[in-house]
Amino acid sequence: MPSPMSLIYYAFHPTELRSIIQWKVWHNPVHERDESKETDALKRCFYFLDMTSRSFSAVIKELHPELLVPVTLFYLVLRGLDTVEDDMTIPLETKEPILRNFQDVLEQDGWTFTENGPDEKDRQLLAEFNVVVEEFKKIKPAYKTIIKDITKKMGNGMADYVRNAEHDTNGVNTIKDYELYCHYVAGLVGEGLTRLFVEGGLATTELLKRPVLMESMGQFLQQVNIIRDIKEDHVDKRRFWPKEVWSKHVDKFEDLFQPENKEKALSASSEMILLALNRADDCLYYLAGIREQSVFNFCAIPQSMAIATLDVCFQNHELFKRNVKITKGEACQLMIESSQNLQMVCDVFKRYTRKIHQKNNPHDPNFLKISIACGKIEQFIETIFPSQKPPVDAKHKSPASLAEEARLKKEAEEAKWDNIYMALAVVSTITVITGLMLFIAWLAGARFDVAFVQFKEQMGQLLGIGQASNATAPSGHSEL
Amino acid sequence: MAPIKVLVTGGTGFLGSRIVEALIEAKSFEITALDINPPALGTQSYPEVKYVRANVLQQEELRKAFSEARPTIVIHTVAVIPLGDARYSTKGKEAVFEVNVGGTRNVLNVSKECGAKGLVYTSSVTVVLDELEVDFKNVDETWPTGRATTTYGQSKAAAEALVLSFNTSDFLTCALRSAVLFGPQDPTCIPILHGCIARGETPFILGEGTNLQDYAYVCNVADAHVLAVRNLLDSGTAAGEAFFITNGEPVTARDICIAVWKEFGHVPSFQVRIPEGLAWWLALGMERLTWMTGSKSTLSRGMILDVTKNRYVSIAKARRVLGYEPKVSLPEAMRVSCEHFKQRWSEQEKR
Repeated sequence: MPSPMSLIYYAFHPTELRSIIQWKVWHNPVHERDESKETDALKRCFYFLDMTSRSFSAVIKELHPELLVPVTLFYLVLRGLDTVEDDMTIPLETKEPILRNFQDVLEQDGWTFTENGPDEKDRQLLAEFNVVVEEFKKIKPAYKTIIKDITKKMGNGMADYVRNAEHDTNGVNTIKDYELYCHYVAGLVGEGLTRLFVEGGLATTELLKRPVLMESMGQFLQQVNIIRDIKEDHVDKRRFWPKEVWSKHVDKFEDLFQPENKEKALSASSEMILLALNRADDCLYYLAGIREQSVFNFCAIPQSMAIATLDVCFQNHELFKRNVKITKGEACQLMIESSQNLQMVCDVFKRYTRKIHQKNNPHDPNFLKISIACGKIEQFIETIFPSQKPPVDAKHKSPASLAEEARLKKEAEEAKWDNIYMALAVVSTITVITGLMLFIAWLAGARFDVAFVQFKEQMGQLLGIGQASNATAPSGHSEL
Repeated sequence: MAPIKVLVTGGTGFLGSRIVEALIEAKSFEITALDINPPALGTQSYPEVKYVRANVLQQEELRKAFSEARPTIVIHTVAVIPLGDARYSTKGKEAVFEVNVGGTRNVLNVSKECGAKGLVYTSSVTVVLDELEVDFKNVDETWPTGRATTTYGQSKAAAEALVLSFNTSDFLTCALRSAVLFGPQDPTCIPILHGCIARGETPFILGEGTNLQDYAYVCNVADAHVLAVRNLLDSGTAAGEAFFITNGEPVTARDICIAVWKEFGHVPSFQVRIPEGLAWWLALGMERLTWMTGSKSTLSRGMILDVTKNRYVSIAKARRVLGYEPKVSLPEAMRVSCEHFKQRWSEQEKR
């Protein structure tokens, strides 16, 4: 049930409401899961997917049948890892070996884990992890290898991170540390998914030859989440903004949230946004390598949401007071635009880049750098979708362009006849329909004769007035 | 290996002197700097560089200097750039062509005569982009020249065509089309923008303010010249080719202005957007007014087109063929350049 506040909001933003309705009514999934063929364990896996992921479950469930199950399991495995890592009630000596050996768990029949604290929201997933293991054993060996490999890398990365007690007291130190953290939790996901796509033949192998692209896909999403969640993470006593960035503006991390430090906090946030923004062109480049619609939507929708989120966070001091997010209507609009083709996603990126650029504050220490980052995104879009072609000089026309001209002339001629036929068709349709309507009316007993007589009388009255005034003129004339 | 002899025309100029420095740094060249002026007072000159005075319009002077220097490669940077109102008028066109095209022809002829193996010509993005009414977004070297409407763009296009037509297997030529240059000692770009502060022109934004433009830091362009020299000496893949050379960081004209003003401690306290159409009429009025009063104004119709259109290029070809990579990024370059001016102007005040 929508809240009264949102009703008022959408009364004043009808285009956003329209987007919501459009998405709900007209969006057809590219592929739909066939529940009749699913085992109980697999059904349970999808249940957990819905439980644990708000944003990803919809796009995952529309994936191509080839990758639907592998990606679902991959997601659940990573979510399982995350649930172990995040839970502060598990002692380090229990936690570390599980994180480091999670890839082996995947092939241990009936493996479950029940030592999560009672407040851990995803604890049920680990308590019934045997269903994931059961399904994991059935997928193609190539997919298993990829998922295990990424699980191993990520588990070790997380274990290193939890061992490093310094993170708990000071958070992340340098920008390098920050990007390394994002690599473990998101860059690796990008790598795993890309390998799955390429293995399944749904993306070009070129994506594996330029690993920076898949890294940027993960980094962009993760960095945007970290920027947006600053307040929430602070309340939960977690710090992901690197000290290298915020210490340029304030002495203590907490000072970012003091109202009197508004300008400084905004400068720190715009530096964080700049770091993320520099990845945007890589993300578009990556999307160009995808060969299948459902995979494209799966990748593009979160990216569009991310750039829109950057825009709401940019130069917005609310960021330090509450969780800012894009509206439901904007989200639906973005989903519509991001489930078509690359050009439309590029338009989305260009639109939000310009919005960010417009808000760029001349007082900001990174003013010029942000401007350059925005320019870079626009230039990149221009390289993949040039809006201009070199002019052909009229003076030296090559034979090729003469042939081209003849073709254009022929096309123009054809277009002219198309128009004539179209006009004829319209006129004859109208005539036939009018005739039919009159005929039906006549059949139904319409008295055209009476109508005609009345029409004549009324016209006569109208004209009669005109005739009366006209009549004086000739008489006056005759007097002359 | 014996050092390779390189002669730089305009070698004491804004760009020329930076090219000389970049050549010194490369440590494998014997350098002659030819210029109509000796090194200006207060600028650095180098003991390892031979300075010669000659006018590119005087064939005999040139021939004498070249036959003494015997350069293997010539870098030709000499040009006149009409600024301000002159940029948009055809007045003085002959004089510009005389130096930019005639001078280039003289240098080409004398270089060949004296046995040079190649020539690198400092061209300009204006050979394509100075068709002022048109937007140029990320254009590359496949775009035709010869459509420029300004005297400068036309003269550079003619000279560039001449240079590239001189390319033969025993005399290799290439052209580097530089974007608007700025840097320390920059005679135009930064001083002009700085001048807007005192005249109170900084709050006004002309047009949409979303159009992107290219700039080039003088030292990066100097690096590109050294790369071009090396290419002509080694693989020769650049021979007969033109390359766009910029900082590869297109930004809006408005933002580059703000960046300069900020360096001088000025940020406009408010902003007023003047739509392109209105600006055009204002400019027309100003032009009439200045024509009657004989005073000078910043605003003119040509200038409005200059700042409200997209004018940026792709440097992919220079990256691929020359291995060019702008070493100093725009923010750092801006900081260094403005720092230089701040120092120079504060010293002038003390005197």
